[in-house]
Amino acid sequence: MADAALTAEAPLVGAAEQSERPDYLSSFRLIWPYLAGQRVKLAAAVLLATLSVALELVPIYLIYRTIDALVVGDLTTASLLFSVAGALGAVVLGYAVLGLAMMVSHLVAFDALFRLRLALSRHLARLPLGHFQMRQSGEAKKLVIDDPEKLELIIAHGIPEGISAVATWIAVSAWLFAVDWRMALAVILITPVAFVLIVLAMRSGSRFAGAYQAAGQRMNAAVVEYVAGMPVVKIFNRSGEGFREASDAVSAYAALEKEWANAFLPLGGTFYALVLSNVIFIVPVGAFLIAGGGLDLPTLVFFVVLGANYSRPLIKLFNLFHELAHISMGSTLLEEVLSAPPQSDTGKVLPLDGHDVSFDDVRFGYDAHDVLHGVSFTAREGTVTALVGPSGSGKSTIASLIPRFFDPRSGRVSIGGVDVREMGLDQLMDTVAFVFQDTVLFTDTIAGNIRFGKPDASDAEVEAAARAARAHDFITALPQGYETRLGDLGRKLSGGERQRIAIARATLKDAPVIVLDEATAFADPDNEAAIQEAIEALAAGRTLIVVAHRLHTIREAETIVVVADGHIAETGRHDELVAAGGPYARLWDDFMAARQSSLRGTPATVEDRP
Amino acid sequence: MSDIERTMTGIAPDAGAVRSDLESLKRLWALAGPLRGTVLTGIVYRFAQSFCLGLGFGTAILLVTDLLKDDFTPTTGWALTMTALASLSLFGQLLFGFLSSKITWFAAFDLGAELRLAMLDRLRRLPLGFHLSRNRGDTVTMLTSDMQMVENFMLDGLPRIAEAFGLPIAILIFLAFQDWVVALAALASILVAVPVYLKASRRLAELGIRRQDMQAAAAARMIEFVQGIAVIRAFNRLAKGAEDFRAALQTFRDLSVRMVLRLTLPLVGFGLILMLGVPLILFAAGWRWLGGEIGAATAITACMLIYATYGPLLSLIAVMEATRMADASLTRMDRILTAQPLPEAAAPKEPDGFDIAFDDLSFGYGETPVLKRLTFTVPERTMTAIVGPSGAGKSTVLNLLPRFWDVGGGAIRIGGVDIREMSSERLSRLITVVFQDVYLFSGTIFDNIAFGKASATQDEVEAAAKAAQAHAFIEALPDGYRTRVGEGGASLSGGERQRVSIARAILKDAPIVLLDEATAAIDPTNERALQAALAALVAEKTLIVVAHKLSTVRAADDILVLDEGRIVERGGHDDLVAGSGLYASLWRHWTEAANWRIGHK
Repeated sequence: MADAALTAEAPLVGAAEQSERPDYLSSFRLIWPYLAGQRVKLAAAVLLATLSVALELVPIYLIYRTIDALVVGDLTTASLLFSVAGALGAVVLGYAVLGLAMMVSHLVAFDALFRLRLALSRHLARLPLGHFQMRQSGEAKKLVIDDPEKLELIIAHGIPEGISAVATWIAVSAWLFAVDWRMALAVILITPVAFVLIVLAMRSGSRFAGAYQAAGQRMNAAVVEYVAGMPVVKIFNRSGEGFREASDAVSAYAALEKEWANAFLPLGGTFYALVLSNVIFIVPVGAFLIAGGGLDLPTLVFFVVLGANYSRPLIKLFNLFHELAHISMGSTLLEEVLSAPPQSDTGKVLPLDGHDVSFDDVRFGYDAHDVLHGVSFTAREGTVTALVGPSGSGKSTIASLIPRFFDPRSGRVSIGGVDVREMGLDQLMDTVAFVFQDTVLFTDTIAGNIRFGKPDASDAEVEAAARAARAHDFITALPQGYETRLGDLGRKLSGGERQRIAIARATLKDAPVIVLDEATAFADPDNEAAIQEAIEALAAGRTLIVVAHRLHTIREAETIVVVADGHIAETGRHDELVAAGGPYARLWDDFMAARQSSLRGTPATVEDRP
Repeated sequence: MSDIERTMTGIAPDAGAVRSDLESLKRLWALAGPLRGTVLTGIVYRFAQSFCLGLGFGTAILLVTDLLKDDFTPTTGWALTMTALASLSLFGQLLFGFLSSKITWFAAFDLGAELRLAMLDRLRRLPLGFHLSRNRGDTVTMLTSDMQMVENFMLDGLPRIAEAFGLPIAILIFLAFQDWVVALAALASILVAVPVYLKASRRLAELGIRRQDMQAAAAARMIEFVQGIAVIRAFNRLAKGAEDFRAALQTFRDLSVRMVLRLTLPLVGFGLILMLGVPLILFAAGWRWLGGEIGAATAITACMLIYATYGPLLSLIAVMEATRMADASLTRMDRILTAQPLPEAAAPKEPDGFDIAFDDLSFGYGETPVLKRLTFTVPERTMTAIVGPSGAGKSTVLNLLPRFWDVGGGAIRIGGVDIREMSSERLSRLITVVFQDVYLFSGTIFDNIAFGKASATQDEVEAAAKAAQAHAFIEALPDGYRTRVGEGGASLSGGERQRVSIARAILKDAPIVLLDEATAAIDPTNERALQAALAALVAEKTLIVVAHKLSTVRAADDILVLDEGRIVERGGHDDLVAGSGLYASLWRHWTEAANWRIGHK
């Protein structure tokens, strides 16, 4: 009965809850398997929690006994001291047991979360790689940290406290009825009435759920726009406009909160007053029963003392239920992730006939509509193949199919004549090195990050790779050199420096097929030359496939594949393509024009060209 | 803005000590401003509600004491009186409860709206530097969820605190009239428990922050695993990745366990100390009766009220977390509410021409100096290129001119007038800044372009769009210039968005343009259109550009070479490249890169 408290948090909860029916059981379903081996401990926590609640009833009984003795007038020093000592012991023991219950239940909870997260990480590692490209850091945090963490509340609090609350409620009810059923009815009478009222109140409040949510979203959107647009607003000195919309949205939100409150409060407010007013109904019923001679004073006192707090465990249950609804959304999401089918893996190591990479009538789309419509080309071993074309034409998508970030809808991608889906993932990953557009480095030393490409590499090999990637010089210029730590708490490197470490990592891996997805995209001019040299070193004797915007870098490529709208528009060498006067020639023309423009006196307009 | 980010991320966000609950309530009280009276009324009604509940207990006590009288016979009339008193108590509770909720809730909603408006207003008056150095999401969070947290505390936490004290206070007063010894006994555990509560709450907050800090590293490694899983797979290092993840996870769990154990103790301690009052009152009441100091009625009264005294106070435990969360939100919001706008000139001056002069200018974000004693001038309608290695302070030079930050030492003058002595409105009309990340408002394309000039006509907007190479693609959209962009509207490509924003800048037609050239490669067709649009924007203007393109640098009238915050060289391209300084070596690097190609040695 200890800390049950009323929650008036209903404005938010009520609104969120009504919009989508929560799956209350999802959290339990999710966590149950990970409680294996801990279930005995959890049961112990439940028993301890129940024991602590039972111990709370002991002083109440002793108080009642003392009052009884006072009424009759036979209270003795001995019996008083007995009651006092008993109450003292029960309070101390009760809290000790409660503390113990919380410790045990938290140990169980954190252990279950540990297993859940481990299982999650194992499963994530087997999902198709494309799955992760779409995950922002916020999403990743939600998935692996925040959503699982919420389950702690269910295991550590919900289960033990919920069950002990139910147990207390049943025990107290039984006790009340055993002593006098008429008075027991007086005690419990108001509780169901109160709960019916709160349900009605939430229902009448929920009429506003849609509007409430809309107002919240409008306010949110207006504030986001206001803050995001602040640079523009300030530069154009137009702070009036944005402010007006944002402040209107804020006022509209407040107005709707009030409307909601007006609908909720008459019944909801009554609930809050009624639910703890059991004593108000005990008194009159008791008075009439006594007046009629059907009740004695000590029994009445018993009901006043025990019955006054009758509703508390129920309120606790009510609040737990509410929280469960909140948590269920995250749990449903986790269940979905855990049940997503893993990527197929034959596990085979197949003999490859060279390392030519071939696309054969490949179709692919991220959703229902295709972004690649029958792509065919071959990148020969020992040559450079460049993928060029406008933004959104599908170049990067083509590149990402080689290491199976996604699998094609139809057609096939093969290396050395073997479909990439036929060979085991291990073989595929050993065969292909991929340098990503946005470089991911790990919280580790620079040497550790480079060695990621080959775990048993010697220091000399790491340094050689760094030299080949033109990263050695800037690394040795750092105070801790190769032992410099990277990551959130470590040193920040520039985009160009990060890319060179990524290239060193790929160099060390020494794979026969290398895919570079706009590896120079974020390089500033100071770094560009170094990165280009690094790529040069990487290319020797391999199948190199590059996605590029800076066309001068791929002029010498053996094959230039021009991609437009998910088709291969043309293929050839630079000179042939320029001479052909097709899409590549236009791209090249644009490239040269843009490159030579100097902000002052460039008359060219490009828009009206066919 | 890489300079800024690099400098600002080094600053710890939350260095301050944790406030006590009382201090947070005081801060909230200060913020409540004109709403204080209403809030107070709400609390008074809440007390009234508790007193009415007290009347219910009082009726129960009256009933018992009546029955204890030797010559008393309970009658139906007497039972009716009791019923009437109980009804009065119930009615009072319903009435005051409703009034209190309504007043408090409405006050909370009003306070929420007012503080949000105050923050919105403050935000637009703060220098842009404040915005650029902060995470945009954080600012939005403060206005939405943080404020919601404070609002919830006002409408839920505050009444619960009032409720927790209302009935106990009523009972203590009542007991004091009955017997002061028993009253003191009842008060004793409260007096010990409340300071323990305040201390526990503060400790809880401190431990919470420590827990966050300690777990942050492990959490970061776990998040990193998820984000880096593609790389981990690509390098076939799943075993190592999983091992690292497991280790981080283990650390995370161990910290969680250790911290929770330390958090549990103060809470259990508060409950235990408070509830020691139960045996204490029992003892005091019984002892006094045994000693003949009080009658049976008084002793019974005290015993009956034990749980009504401590029960409400116990519910403070549940309020603790809400209080802490509201306080954390308040602390964050205070960063906006207490930030200072730049000082406005009392007697604004008018510039004479648009020459720009940097005069012995120094500046740093926080303690680290970024620019050191720069002196140079930019004559009207000329083009000055700033070059130098990354981290040299190039972007910072641009940021100081429109007063995103105020200079540390020295001065910047436009047309002979210190920019701090101009009105901010005048300064803003003088300068256009072209940002690398483009922002379009939700609204039509027309609105977005016309944002540059309040009274713009259709013709003017179209002319600007044509100059910005945007007219053709806009016309091709289903609703032309009336096409909506932003959420739920047409999605434009990055290059198209950029050109719309340049059209907006062209329409503004400010005499000075500041440009930070993009380094990221975009496809050649978009790049070409963008270059043409920029050329239209800067024609005939005074232009300062942080240059990354060789052709731009070469065309500049004047080149400033910056290194570690100082001007190390200055002059025209031909002169500088002939020398043997930093510029000459930079130039060699760049041309090397520009002529480089894969597969060609």
